[in-house]
Amino acid sequence: MLVYTIKRLLALIPTLLAASILVFLFIHLIPGDPAAILLGDTATPEEVAALTREMGLDEPIWKQYLLWLGNVLQGDLGTSVFFREPVLKVIGSGAETSILLATMTMVWIVLFGIPIGIVSATKHGTWVDQVTSGGAMLFASIPTFWLGLYLILIFAVGLGWFPSSGFPSVSDDGGWTNLRYLILPSLTLAAPNAALIIRLVRASMLDVAREDHVRTARAKGLHPAKVAIKHIFRNALIAVAAAFGFTFAALVSEAVVTETVFSLPGIGRLVVQSILRRDYPVIQGVILVIVVLYMVINLLVDLAYARLDPRVSLK
Amino acid sequence: MALLEVSNLEIAVATGGQLLPVVRGVSFEVKANETFGIVGESGCGKSLTSLAIMGLLEGSQVRITGGSIHFDGRELTALSAEDRRAIMGAQMAMIFQEPMTSLNPVYRIGDQIVETLRQHRDMSRRQARDRAVELLDLVRIPEPGRRIDSFPHQMSGGQRQRVMIAMAMACDPKLLIADEPTTALDVTVQKEVLDLMADLQSRMGTAIVLISHDLGVIAETCDKVAVMYRGKIAESAATGELFSNMCHPYTRGLLNSIPVVDRDVEWLEAIPGRVPTIDEVLSGCAFHPRCAMAEARCESEDPDKRDVATGHTIRCHFAEVGSA
Amino acid sequence: MTFIASFLSMFRGRKLAIVGLIWLCIVAFAAIAAPLLAPFDPLEIDPVARLSEPGMPYLFGTDHFGRDSFSRAIYGARMAVIIGLGSVVVALITGGLIGMLSAYFTRLGHVLMRGVDVLMAFPALLLALVLMTLLERSVTNTIIVIGVVYATTTARILFGMTLKLKGEVFVDAAICSGAGHGSVLFRHILPNLISPLLVQASFIFAFAQLQAAALDFLGLGLPPEVASWGNMLSEERIYVTRAPWLLIFPGALIILSVFSMNLVGDAMRDSIDPRFKDDIAGV
Repeated sequence: MLVYTIKRLLALIPTLLAASILVFLFIHLIPGDPAAILLGDTATPEEVAALTREMGLDEPIWKQYLLWLGNVLQGDLGTSVFFREPVLKVIGSGAETSILLATMTMVWIVLFGIPIGIVSATKHGTWVDQVTSGGAMLFASIPTFWLGLYLILIFAVGLGWFPSSGFPSVSDDGGWTNLRYLILPSLTLAAPNAALIIRLVRASMLDVAREDHVRTARAKGLHPAKVAIKHIFRNALIAVAAAFGFTFAALVSEAVVTETVFSLPGIGRLVVQSILRRDYPVIQGVILVIVVLYMVINLLVDLAYARLDPRVSLK
Repeated sequence: MALLEVSNLEIAVATGGQLLPVVRGVSFEVKANETFGIVGESGCGKSLTSLAIMGLLEGSQVRITGGSIHFDGRELTALSAEDRRAIMGAQMAMIFQEPMTSLNPVYRIGDQIVETLRQHRDMSRRQARDRAVELLDLVRIPEPGRRIDSFPHQMSGGQRQRVMIAMAMACDPKLLIADEPTTALDVTVQKEVLDLMADLQSRMGTAIVLISHDLGVIAETCDKVAVMYRGKIAESAATGELFSNMCHPYTRGLLNSIPVVDRDVEWLEAIPGRVPTIDEVLSGCAFHPRCAMAEARCESEDPDKRDVATGHTIRCHFAEVGSA
Repeated sequence: MTFIASFLSMFRGRKLAIVGLIWLCIVAFAAIAAPLLAPFDPLEIDPVARLSEPGMPYLFGTDHFGRDSFSRAIYGARMAVIIGLGSVVVALITGGLIGMLSAYFTRLGHVLMRGVDVLMAFPALLLALVLMTLLERSVTNTIIVIGVVYATTTARILFGMTLKLKGEVFVDAAICSGAGHGSVLFRHILPNLISPLLVQASFIFAFAQLQAAALDFLGLGLPPEVASWGNMLSEERIYVTRAPWLLIFPGALIILSVFSMNLVGDAMRDSIDPRFKDDIAGV
């Protein structure tokens, strides 16, 4: 297991390096002088000249890249033009909101997606299946921000059950009860993804149900519910686990929108605001962090996959 | 009183709003310690018959539409699903054609045997595991104490079929249904598996229903045989009687399509044509389009079941011609 | 004619998918005949009639500039079709070529598919956002960006499918009979991939609508003056409490269209070659 993990980590390096080159080139693809772009509109010519020297912008581009990569590996992602603070610190300030939001969303996805998917598959061909799988497809067809706006309109403005926007940190007054600020956003974010998981659980379970070993399980005299969970769902889980990597990518994309709708101080909204503020160092930093995170998640998914399917050898 | 009595069993498939009969008027009985063979080409209804006895048709589009299955003093077609499950895997067990796919790939084989034991027997995990090791030893898996923790993909086809047998025999069933248990295996392994089944039968007195398309396998292992063609039993007799006195032209066709090593044959005399699909409506005897002996009567009149000797029944108008 | 007949046969017994197909036909018709159907100029501002309720003469009401929402919705259908088809074309041509060539020329494939892997390390909307920061807001750029994002998945899918077909006898036969690489790829392999490609196209079309709407919402998609369903939602969202109908109509149009396209894609997927079924990830 450990050897396999290390091997997989090493195999990530080329992809990571290639991705880092793309992220590095991002600044250079923007028309204009990179030093001026990184410092923003208010910079003096002296500051620009100083940064040009510091970043080695007069050097060949591969040297610039190595210099940048060296800084990144030491945790220096540059300085935010807008906040005048290190990029890593700016990203860190949005991390709490985004991580809590993502966690809560995953809870909803598992809580709704898996049981409804199982019911849909076991009631295959009945009206229950048609309603659940049709409903799931409908939810996957709703724009995230539209759903968010209407949840705000109904449950925050209309019924007043939840706050409509913002998120005070759990270290603020209110502590963990502040999590109620995240209920509507996390439901918004969970809806399309839970819908995908429902359809996936259903499809994989229907595939597994046709396999011979399920007949063996039934021939043992097991209760149909036990056959459905222990034999069909357990095997379908292999395909579902593989999809959780994609779910993370979808979550990141939709979190950008959701955090904007609900004005949550997370990393997603930070990206949008940084784009509008032309705060390029922050954009560059966030992308780099997300790409690394995405690769780590995919690695974890692969490891989970190997644990779920004994046929996958960890050699 | 026989252990299993199937009488006038009818099975139909629901397609496009109508019911197509696929098994019609099948009757036979099996006593304890006896091996009953059902032979026929694919699509003749032999597998559906075995699944119906086992109770595995439920939930699919195939269902029993008539007749009765009497097992060990109880009428199976009248039982609730729950009572039915109490019998499945306990008094009655089944092994299947595909040992490569019949075991769940994600669980260790020991756990799969333990699951059957704990479903029907009041056993602790420890006891069930010890019993599973015994069972693996019984089906001649080497080093059972170690192999019990193997996953199915770590075993060969023959070994997996032994595991299937161990799982089926776990609760000492009175009846074992084996649907083409050796078809997917190498010839040498086939023999070993059949010997194992015969050995277990003689020790435990289990009745066996053996489904096969291979008359050779049937001849070696069965006490009685039924030959099925298109959902009906064409001919049925004790094995010795059948092979010495074959009456039905279909049975003879089946025998002639087996290569015989010690006879010098120029070509194999296979049955011409193919098994008609279930939705083809045929008048008269279902076999007449492929039968060399067919006459005008066969096209219009479906032959009834009749005796040609003690315990030897056929469905053919010209049995006398055949036995001559 | 036989093509249409076989296309329609996919929908036998799928009532909901038929409804979806009919809805898509309506959208297509609205897109083509927009100037004839729209009662007002979608850009015409009427300060007197700001935020009018739905009724006559403004069927869907008016927005905060006093523009007729019904006319904007009809021109929005045109924009939806342009964005959808445009993204499909960009994604299928670039992604399709990369995938097919990579599977066919193994050595080239090592390089190209590694590149695709790298691009796939960026979550879809994030990649689109980053590309949009480098480009100006315009219809063409929105199409290119969404197309590029889905080109990566298309490349992966076509890579897998071409690889499967490459091992088939008919491909060997074509090579043995002296067919050139181009002929093998485009005259022998490609025709077998047409129907899975159509299914993939339907899902890209559906996703593109959601992505375009999200970009519009974030202010990074189509220019604000363009009449699109996403822009209608984005611009009027602050008036939602005063004029809720302004969000209902365009929202419902997006949902209906995406849902319909997914239903149609689903029906089509169930009737394609089972070898390729697992390659295409839809909803």
